[in-house]
Amino acid sequence: MHNYRTDLWVDWCPGCGDFGILAALQQSMMEMNKKPEDFAIFSGIGCSAKTPHYINAPGMHTLHGRVIPFATGVKLANPNLTVIADGGDGDLLSIGAGHFVAAGRRNVDMTVIIHNNGVYGLTKGQASPTLPRGEKTKGLQRPNILDSLNPIALALTVGYTFVARAFSFDVKNTKDIIMKAVKHRGTSVIDLLQPCPTYNDVNTKEWYEKRIYYLDKDPTWDPEVREATSEASEKKYLQAIHKSLEWGDKIPLGVLYQNDHVPSFGDRIAEHITNYFEVPPSDSPIVNSAGLPIARMESIFTDRLIRR
Amino acid sequence: MPLVDIDLIIGGPQGGGIDSAAQIVIRAFSIAGYEAYGIREYYSNIKGRHSYFHVRVKETPVRSLRYPVDLLVCLDYESPFVHMEDVSDITKVLYDEDLANTKIEQVLTMEPETKKHVIDRLKDGGFETTLAGAVKYMQSKGATPYPVSFRNLVVAALGPNKPPARYANTLGASLAMALMGLPQEFTSRGIESVFGKKKEVIEDNEKIVLSGYDFVRTHNVVNIKELPVRSAKDKYILTGNEAIGIGKVIGGLKLQTYYPITPAADESFFLEGHDYFEPVMGGDMDKENEVLKNTGVVVVQAEDEIAAVAMAISGAMTGTRTATGTSGPGFSLMAEALGYAGINEVPVVVSLYQRGGPSTGLPTRNSQADLMFAINAGHGEFAKIVYSSGDVPEAIYDAIRVFNYAEKFQVPVIHILDKNLANSFFLVDGLDYSKIKIERWKLAPNSENFERFKLTEDGISPMGMFGKNIIWLTGDEHSELGHITEDPETRDAMMVKRMSKLQTILKEIPEEEQVELIGDPEADVTLLSWGSNKGVILSVFEKMKEEGVKANLVYVKLMNPFPSELVSKYLSSAKLVIDLENNYTGQLALLVKQNCGFEVENFILKYNGRHTTDDEVYDGIKRVLEKKESKVVMVRGA
Repeated sequence: MHNYRTDLWVDWCPGCGDFGILAALQQSMMEMNKKPEDFAIFSGIGCSAKTPHYINAPGMHTLHGRVIPFATGVKLANPNLTVIADGGDGDLLSIGAGHFVAAGRRNVDMTVIIHNNGVYGLTKGQASPTLPRGEKTKGLQRPNILDSLNPIALALTVGYTFVARAFSFDVKNTKDIIMKAVKHRGTSVIDLLQPCPTYNDVNTKEWYEKRIYYLDKDPTWDPEVREATSEASEKKYLQAIHKSLEWGDKIPLGVLYQNDHVPSFGDRIAEHITNYFEVPPSDSPIVNSAGLPIARMESIFTDRLIRR
Repeated sequence: MPLVDIDLIIGGPQGGGIDSAAQIVIRAFSIAGYEAYGIREYYSNIKGRHSYFHVRVKETPVRSLRYPVDLLVCLDYESPFVHMEDVSDITKVLYDEDLANTKIEQVLTMEPETKKHVIDRLKDGGFETTLAGAVKYMQSKGATPYPVSFRNLVVAALGPNKPPARYANTLGASLAMALMGLPQEFTSRGIESVFGKKKEVIEDNEKIVLSGYDFVRTHNVVNIKELPVRSAKDKYILTGNEAIGIGKVIGGLKLQTYYPITPAADESFFLEGHDYFEPVMGGDMDKENEVLKNTGVVVVQAEDEIAAVAMAISGAMTGTRTATGTSGPGFSLMAEALGYAGINEVPVVVSLYQRGGPSTGLPTRNSQADLMFAINAGHGEFAKIVYSSGDVPEAIYDAIRVFNYAEKFQVPVIHILDKNLANSFFLVDGLDYSKIKIERWKLAPNSENFERFKLTEDGISPMGMFGKNIIWLTGDEHSELGHITEDPETRDAMMVKRMSKLQTILKEIPEEEQVELIGDPEADVTLLSWGSNKGVILSVFEKMKEEGVKANLVYVKLMNPFPSELVSKYLSSAKLVIDLENNYTGQLALLVKQNCGFEVENFILKYNGRHTTDDEVYDGIKRVLEKKESKVVMVRGA
């Protein structure tokens, strides 16, 4: 059995929500029964961005805000890899918000995890896009002057086909959600709520624990679009939007929306380049046994040939 | 002297088929066995503003253009005004006589600044500020007007129900080629080559061709001699954008990312049109290779240039040949990610098509002002290659070459190009496969604890890949394994490892791929230049040679790391050095000073965004040599 832990000292603050997410990731990777080389784990910049270094599988710690495009590039070149992109709330929803929106439209088969703690930890606690206006966390001089955005509603609106929320201190549930998200063929996003024990003294572990509840405990809750019609998806979309507005005394966790009927980006490419999955770009030979290029000018670019 | 050496300009409204007209001319002459070359000049506009094609036709390979032109084809009411200075006593001016009374004030498409310059010139010469006045102005410079009623000819050919404006381009091209003496059959074949074989289109255009040729036959006041047909090999007609795209595909490109920007995007559009193909494995296509039949190049339009370069960088770490293409503004956005590729030693190729800056600048015009930026793009210090190409034939091979450099040395490569190259048409031969070599990374052995960044003598570690090895990449300084470290000794070792690649690169890239000394080794004058001015300079050298002036060109291709020793060797033995570039500061000369300590003292520069032409380079060299001017600014072009 492959050990998904590296032997590095994990340098997050004691009590950091990232520990739970890391553990859930490692457990889910173990349970997926793949080779470690079948994974590619990505991160942006910030505390959460160290995650790949703590996972004993191929990893890429990228640039602030750019975790989605970096993750996308590997998946496009080798669609047979399992790609997970970890970003902070600032990473994904502020500096990288454009990529977050574009990812919903592309529906590349990968999982995006938003490490959502309401603050920029590594730069000493500035407000992130998920911190509500008027809240004054420890690092702020004055209460937050900006309104927060709703990551779930944003994800739904731009086309994510799997939208879920989890709480990092419930490692088992987080792991289950990650497994479902990875299994989904398309872009899945998990709004992963986590305390920042150092800088967010408002949304603490206890604060969350008083409010969270699990949608799947309600037998009537069904987030899944069951048929490929616009009526069916609209119904589940509106249900999820409505649920996403629930924030305050009660915070719902679980899968909010799932639509398996939208073709992934890879499937869309394969409609045109039909052996895209069988011979992905990363596995395509470029020379023959004689060392000659196998793409030939005289067979591909005949439309530019002038016969005289 | 060659029998045929014709320069022509076809001008008209953007979106009015000027491109097609020029394509028809180039293809028709080409089919008749002639060589041709052309550049498209256009505004950042979709419909209406003045655009033009400057084309030259010869019997021998063409690589440059010149003013004055032999033929000015005015397909709109703006052309006679803006090209007034492009003519002389050798020029025939074809224009629509129905527009003769147009006052310049009525030419809505013309920019007020240009209008003012034209009005001043016309008034100074005592001419009316009408289209007829502009024609008279050109006549005063010796040009021969050739008035035609476009409307009458279209109506005569197709009846009153077809809009004359739609046929202005084929009619203009037909009249132009009749005036140049190209047999009618080739014009028809040129049109078919551009528009395809759709019956109705062919029929209408055939009538237009006939009407154009008939008109010229019955109005032969300009002494037309029919040109002989020449036998020649088949050739490809390619723009610089297409040449780069072709080189990349042949070189093994499998993932191209881009965000739309002029003049880079045409390359990606072209790739999208050729992304699905059957590779040639050679010998028997066995079962194993059957699956390759339905593969190709994945071309992805990203949400912005940051995403485009990020996707290309990470994609390259799967062992895929990846690239992106962009221009100044997009390249500025890519700077941070280039540093990431640098510190992670990622073999990625960025094709940088320079255009006029700063900021949006002259978005559709030429420039070579991003050389210093390309070399220095990205914060911190890291090894990257900046490699330049100057014409279509070399661009194809270079596009293959830069993939080899990227992978062999595991560094990002900026392939620096310019708008003139991107938008110029060349006729080129098929590929010489014996000149093509594919070189890739050192591969990693399969092992536990694989060190992606293993310290080595030459700075190059075995390549590790997603999907094959457990590797870690980070933009932070890192250990051999790829984990973050701030350990000072490791930092020093990693800096030395990465930066020592610059020496390795200079040592391993063959000298002739770094710098070319073209022309007479014992020269009276030495030009220092790069990029798309190569063709113009070499054409001018031919003329200078006829006059007994020996010249040579130090043509630099490898810009970073800079081949200081070679360039120093070539320049130190030169009698007189002139730097010729399309920028304000003489960036290549600055680079030479910085790297070789050699001070270039004479400059011929151009930064108005228009293509450089033979006449102005010739004139510039004369001014430096004879009038001892140390800085000449070239200002040609409408």
